[in-house]
Amino acid sequence: MSSPELDVQNLKVSFSTLRGKLTAVNGISFHLNQGETLALVGESGCGKTVSALSILRLLPEPPAEILSGKILFAGQNLLSLNAKALRDLRGRSISMIFQDPMTSLNPVLTIGEQMAETLLRHTTMNRQEALKKSAYLLSRVELPSPKEKLKHYPHQLSGGMRQRVMIAMALSCAPRVLIADEPTTALDVLIQAQILELLENLKNETGMSILIITHDLGVVAEIAQRVLVMYAGEIVESGPARSLLNSPLHPYTKGLIASVPKLGAVKKKGTRLEEISGNVPSLDQRPSGCAFHPRCAWAIDKCKTQKPELRPADTERQWSCHLEPGSL
Amino acid sequence: MELPLGAGIVMNTETNIPLLEVHDLKKYFPAQKKFLEKQAPPVRAVDGISFALKAGETLGLVGESGCGKSTAARTLLRLIEPTSGQVNFFGTNLFALKETEMRNLRREMQIIFQDPYSSVNPARRIGNILQEPFEIHGFQDKKENAEKATQLLEHVGLTPGHFNRYPHELSGGQLQRVGIARAIALNPKLVVADEPVSALDVSIQAQIINLLLDLKERLDISYLFISHDMGVVEYFCDRVAVMYLGKIVELADSEQIYNSPQHPYTTALLNAIPNLESGRIKQKASIKGDIPDPTSPLKGCAFHNRCPIKEKQCEEEIPALKEIVPGHHVACFLKQ
Ligand SMILES: Nc1ncnc2c1ncn2[C@@H]1O[C@H](COP(=O)(O)OP(=O)(O)OP(=O)(O)O)[C@@H](O)[C@H]1O
Ligand SMILES: Nc1ncnc2c1ncn2[C@@H]1O[C@H](COP(=O)(O)OP(=O)(O)O)[C@@H](O)[C@H]1O
Ligand code: SF4
Ligand code: SF4
Ligand SMILES: [Mg+2]
Ligand SMILES: [Mg+2]
Repeated sequence: MSSPELDVQNLKVSFSTLRGKLTAVNGISFHLNQGETLALVGESGCGKTVSALSILRLLPEPPAEILSGKILFAGQNLLSLNAKALRDLRGRSISMIFQDPMTSLNPVLTIGEQMAETLLRHTTMNRQEALKKSAYLLSRVELPSPKEKLKHYPHQLSGGMRQRVMIAMALSCAPRVLIADEPTTALDVLIQAQILELLENLKNETGMSILIITHDLGVVAEIAQRVLVMYAGEIVESGPARSLLNSPLHPYTKGLIASVPKLGAVKKKGTRLEEISGNVPSLDQRPSGCAFHPRCAWAIDKCKTQKPELRPADTERQWSCHLEPGSL
Repeated sequence: MELPLGAGIVMNTETNIPLLEVHDLKKYFPAQKKFLEKQAPPVRAVDGISFALKAGETLGLVGESGCGKSTAARTLLRLIEPTSGQVNFFGTNLFALKETEMRNLRREMQIIFQDPYSSVNPARRIGNILQEPFEIHGFQDKKENAEKATQLLEHVGLTPGHFNRYPHELSGGQLQRVGIARAIALNPKLVVADEPVSALDVSIQAQIINLLLDLKERLDISYLFISHDMGVVEYFCDRVAVMYLGKIVELADSEQIYNSPQHPYTTALLNAIPNLESGRIKQKASIKGDIPDPTSPLKGCAFHNRCPIKEKQCEEEIPALKEIVPGHHVACFLKQ
């Protein structure tokens, strides 16, 4: 087997706040294989975005601080690169798209100006060539009348179109890795389906790897081969998407699956959705033992005091829970 | 029961009059006129919709972003003035009421918004936010209002400990519970929920849906439930209206909509829901492209540029909403 495209080892990130130094990501390890779509899943506040931003060193340091870890990409540790090397890497070898395209597009520049800028920075193209390439990129993300769209400002496009522009920009230098942080969360289901299909097609064409971040296991089922489930800054379960969705090992994974509305599940009027009670704990209120225990329907005494380790269930799956597989 | 509306208007809620009747409601927004440019045609955000809602019933209003759902909601509650049409609330024509009469009636019809953060005053404590409805409607007893606000917190699954907190100290899901508490404070007959869970995580979405279902049973509320996700709507609604570019294109009982959807747009919305079991969008991207610009609607059927089954006629003529079997209305030439 070839070595992974991206290898994250024991990444630990904290923030300095008025309430002290708080750990947001607590020693996570994972790898992204070549040509793979890997999903990082968990509720809001679990540490997904902080993990992703750490890979590209996009967190404001301070207040953020990467306490430990290695991020190996193309034979180097990204955490020891200097600022210039990081700038060269971003948008060229590893690109990122965000939940709200509006926050990452410049409202006073046309789409064409912004797209050309990225190309001018990372390639030897001249303006003319960069604009031509931009129109081509927009056509690849299936934006209607791409030449026209180059002259538009971001606010003149719908949310779905803006996300396509972001994807086109992210792909402009043919990156090896695309990190997509909740790329469809702000979109409605129809446009979400279109964007997920687009990402899948682009991945198949280019052979890049995708790390997709989402809170919706429905999205995972549509696009990912492998899944990492994150809770309170730690990975609590990982494995191939199909087997993880069909037979979750961790109560949190099971809860996330159950809370997705399923078509045709309402047999009787007033059917309730299964819910996970409570909320993600804030960083300064991490529960003792298993961090999930106050919300867990399976919790036993031990869960309050003893922290379960992430351990292998078989060659492909891992989970961290005191229960034995098959207990749920 | 009689609802005093002030100014001599009294409504009787025990007759068979529907709770809400909407007749050919329109709301056009004038386009921004640019210097030296011809006046552009208006945005037809809501372009002639009609439906009724019986007391105790829940109607889903679905459609993608920009199709006019929120505008319809705000217009029928008269939070913005309509362009034309009529809305009756227990038989009373809302658009004929004076401001003061409308204000009295407002306590019977409340709204919950999509973004919990922008719908509350960030500088006020949760407890004060929840006392507002009582103060606005003339309840003067401060102590009693505070007690009622505390009770409301418990009704929606929060604790008295939240009373003195500020909005930014709550999570999105908790703050949406506050929005719900404020909406039910005065025991309204109708609650319009405008995408109440769209901004929330799937897990929190499930909590809020269950809460709304509980409140419906306990307090006998009718909902107009707005969403772009038909998967969520199925848990809620007795009937569903599907909107496209300001018009209703399909209206039927939930059962009919989910078991035999007729309009190709409804089918597309259903197919777009991710499927956990099979793990593939059933028909890959069954429709392409975006909703057209509402200032320049297409000739013919507004959906024809995205429709997978369109025919020649669709580019020329506009299909009307017709009842094809009892209770099932569709606006599509091929299904009538
Ligand atoms: N005050 C306004 N002035 C001009 N146009 C408006 C105004 N409010 C809404 N519109 C337009 O009316 C149309 C319908 O908007 P509306 O907000 O009702 O859609 P929606 O279905 O609720 O969408 P979403 O899912 O995004 O909430 C859109 O084209 C919108 O841009
Ligand atoms: N700049 C910051 N300062 C302090 N805390 C932060 C900062 N950014 C994120 N956090 C905290 O880190 C935790 C994880 O956040 P995040 O990675 O954004 O979660 P997710 O993407 O899973 O929703 C949260 O508790 C969040 O409040
Ligand atoms: S360790 Fe205990 S509390 Fe944690 S998930 Fe497993 S059963 Fe639940
Ligand atoms: S009328 Fe024609 S274009 Fe419109 S939905 Fe029906 S088949 Fe499609
Ligand atoms: Mg995030
Ligand atoms: Mg809306």
